[in-house]
Amino acid sequence: MPDLPELNPVIHGKLRLALLSLLSSVEEAEFTWLRTKTGSTDGNLGAQLLKLEEAGYVGVEKKFVQRKPQTLYRMTESGREALTEYVQALKQLLGAAIDA
Amino acid sequence: MTDQLTEDLKDRLSLIESMIAEGRRTTESWGWTFVLWGVAYYIAIAWSTFGHGTMAWPVTMIAASVLTFGLASRKASRHPETTLGRSMMAIWLGMGISVFIVMLSLGLSGRADLHIAVAIIGAMLGSANATSSIILKWKMQFACALVWWTATAASCFISEIQAGIVFLVAIFFCQIVFGIYCMIAEARKNKSRGARQGASHA
Repeated sequence: MPDLPELNPVIHGKLRLALLSLLSSVEEAEFTWLRTKTGSTDGNLGAQLLKLEEAGYVGVEKKFVQRKPQTLYRMTESGREALTEYVQALKQLLGAAIDA
Repeated sequence: MTDQLTEDLKDRLSLIESMIAEGRRTTESWGWTFVLWGVAYYIAIAWSTFGHGTMAWPVTMIAASVLTFGLASRKASRHPETTLGRSMMAIWLGMGISVFIVMLSLGLSGRADLHIAVAIIGAMLGSANATSSIILKWKMQFACALVWWTATAASCFISEIQAGIVFLVAIFFCQIVFGIYCMIAEARKNKSRGARQGASHA
């Protein structure tokens, strides 16, 4: 039986996985949009985004638009690679489960 | 591997799919623009027919453009920019500018004719709807394109009054009905999203 891949623990958290998936489909997204889409609280969302940022999967840009602060998040290239690898590993694990 | 773990893996795959779809699917929230432009066409037709206003079309179209731009800017500030969204905007903006230039030039030169107007507007709207529907894989919108193309072809063979009726019917189905359908779809999606709240915990 071939070795089963391990799932990336940084991405495996449900909210972090949802965030990376969302960011993979857009060029950049505001904090408030991510909050609406995930239905998360400000504190939890900020903490999970920070973890993704520390892992180098997400880039952040803070700016002012009409004197209002705006925080924009963007998926990095390594974030995209990590998500792709995660999905492949997930499919491999599911395939192994079906075969078993 | 336990069934519970398998279910968890499946949940994660569907979470990825739903979130990616969530980011990409933004078209339904533009249903109001179809309704707005449908109403604008009706106002322009009524004004130019009963009010004898030569400026009916330019004034109505400019007012509708300003209104669309103002409302869209407010909406856009709450949505992220996507390649898909920019493609959609490019298609409809290009179509809008083309129709505006042709119709304004025909109006000012005194060569405007209802057959030509319906043929041009129908062909342009058919093209824009078809392009959008192919990109979005949305059959309902392609049906609108078919209606517009039918109106375009028909307008070349029928009387002016009949062309006018065909235009009014096409506007009703492809702008008003389709726009309301989009708005209902968006409202339903928002409702189900509110009930789901699936990804709120890490």
